[in-house]
Amino acid sequence: MPGTNKLRVMLMRIEVRVFSGLEKYLPGVAFGQAFSVELPEGSTPRDLLSRLGIPEEQVFTVLKNGRHLSWDGILQDGDRIGLFPPVGGG
Amino acid sequence: MPKILRVNVSTREVKMEEAPEKYLGLGGRALTSQIVFDEVPPTCDPLGEYNKLVIAPGLLSGTSAPSSGRLSVGGKSPLTGTIKEANAGGITSQKLANLDIKAVVLEGKPADDKWYGVKIDKNGAELFDASDLAGKGTYEVTAICRQRFGEKVGVITIGPAGEMLMLAAGVTNNDGEGNSSRYAGRGGLGAVMGSKRIKAIVVDSPTTFDVPVKDPERFKAAARKFSKILLDHPVCGQGLPSYGTNVLMNIINEAGALPVRNFRFGRFEQAANVSGEKLAEVAVARGGKATHACHPGCVMRCSNVYPLPDGKVCAPIEYETAWGFGPNLEIGDLDVVARLNYICNDVGLDTIETACTLGVLMEAGVIPFGDGQAAIAALEEVAKGTALGRIIGSGAAVAGKVFGVTRVPVVKGQGIPAYDPRACKGNGVTYATTPMGADHTAGYAVTANILKVGGFVDPLSKDGQVDLSRNLQIATAAVDATGLCLFVAFAVLDNPDGVPTICEMLNAQYGLSLTPDDVVKLGQSILKVEREFNRLAGFTSKDDRLPEFFYSEPIESHNVKFDVTDEELDSVFNF
Ligand code: SF4
Repeated sequence: MPGTNKLRVMLMRIEVRVFSGLEKYLPGVAFGQAFSVELPEGSTPRDLLSRLGIPEEQVFTVLKNGRHLSWDGILQDGDRIGLFPPVGGG
Repeated sequence: MPKILRVNVSTREVKMEEAPEKYLGLGGRALTSQIVFDEVPPTCDPLGEYNKLVIAPGLLSGTSAPSSGRLSVGGKSPLTGTIKEANAGGITSQKLANLDIKAVVLEGKPADDKWYGVKIDKNGAELFDASDLAGKGTYEVTAICRQRFGEKVGVITIGPAGEMLMLAAGVTNNDGEGNSSRYAGRGGLGAVMGSKRIKAIVVDSPTTFDVPVKDPERFKAAARKFSKILLDHPVCGQGLPSYGTNVLMNIINEAGALPVRNFRFGRFEQAANVSGEKLAEVAVARGGKATHACHPGCVMRCSNVYPLPDGKVCAPIEYETAWGFGPNLEIGDLDVVARLNYICNDVGLDTIETACTLGVLMEAGVIPFGDGQAAIAALEEVAKGTALGRIIGSGAAVAGKVFGVTRVPVVKGQGIPAYDPRACKGNGVTYATTPMGADHTAGYAVTANILKVGGFVDPLSKDGQVDLSRNLQIATAAVDATGLCLFVAFAVLDNPDGVPTICEMLNAQYGLSLTPDDVVKLGQSILKVEREFNRLAGFTSKDDRLPEFFYSEPIESHNVKFDVTDEELDSVFNF
């Protein structure tokens, strides 16, 4: 069925982890615990946050496969995403 | 008048001198490095007669400036052979400053093998017989001194590792609760103190924040403003006070820059189990604290209090320590990390160096990677002074030689801390070039590389890293002179009012008219003095390099090598 096929192509699955207090927005998810999210192709970190219900101003850093991603960066199928509030130390 | 306390251990003479004019504008690292440069022959034996141990509070220590109670300990390092400043929290810096003491200098070489202590209070200083303290761990020494001299004293001490002149021995002092865990850990300065046969320095001061200030009103306003600058910054005001420094574990892991299995991999599956989040959870559940100030007046409170299952308390577990005994050894159990941390604190060893050393021993197959109990048993050998214990106390470079391991993460003989130089290249530049030997605090490029503080420089590319490291090394040297905790840098790098407000506090305190340019000049001059000491000690640009494997072996998380060229590294100090 062409319609279903089309839908499958348009969705992507990304692997998300949240840290340092952001887990409070996701009942049942522990910090560092991987979970997957399906989003339409071409989605950005903003879209991800709104799907997860995490307020944008709580997130300081988005890492995609270990590299920084801007708010308008594009997510891709299979990406590993880490979301962080402001952190520092040393 | 500010004083310098000289304790000559050859003659047993204890002398309070007026600080010479030329030292009045110096404090902390600026003063320890200058005194070492002026008085210690660069080629001397670090454990011999001519080396000195210099302890100095920062310029702002003992005032109400927030987070300004850091202590500098300096000398020629037995571990690296370079000049060294190691920086500690704890309550002693403020007390020394309140006694109007700019520096304590231990000098000479004892003729006999007795152990002494130094007691410092408002009436002056004197030596006391410390034979009963010798051989004891730092926690016990501190407890005995607090019992004998009063609950409120600060106790600077070394453990058995320092007494046995081990190259990775640190100098510690206590927090307000008496935990002897605030280490000037790096570079083996505990062995220098041990070579002087001074087991403890007890500092008793009736006040904490009452150092003379020329213009108190102006000072108060500036200090208040600085406090606000810190608290308004997301890292200093929210990040650090929530989870402490070990909040870094997960972000460094996600960034693929976490050194795992003796710097073989960049990510560790069990990182979350030894992270700050987990630490806070367990500490609070056991009646400890997720956040804690290492000295009165710190507004960032990055420390923690972690009760071990047997009731002993480790305060704090810092990120570098959690990394070193965790991912670096492929150990994912926070109680094992805490135990190793506690033993190091008690026996008197630098945790970073010891962690690198255990990594090398695991590389050699002496103990298996991931085996926490074996690591604990090995570390317990140190206090006993067995052959293995002495190797562990000698640091990673020595252990590598003894066991025939070439994959040894050191620069100038000092173990590399918790950020892989291939995936956080700015820190790689700092490790390679700082006069201190591999040291993450000397120019903490993790800020712009990974935390996005003070701008952003792509951690995987070499572009911009030399400039970043240079500027941070200069700024850090200056901050280390003030006695401010280096963590103020997160806010200061992002807020244009930061440096001017530090100047304003210094100006109000000392009646000066420093500008931000002068702060840069101070930082530069400290680095120049330190570099010159090292040059005279025989160091050249060939010492400003990372170990070979970082250039030849890509880190798998990003498939990148360390590719900053020798010429680029040699340009770091072009100023
Ligand atoms: S931020 Fe942490 S290390 Fe720095 S002074 Fe405060 S408690 Fe101590």
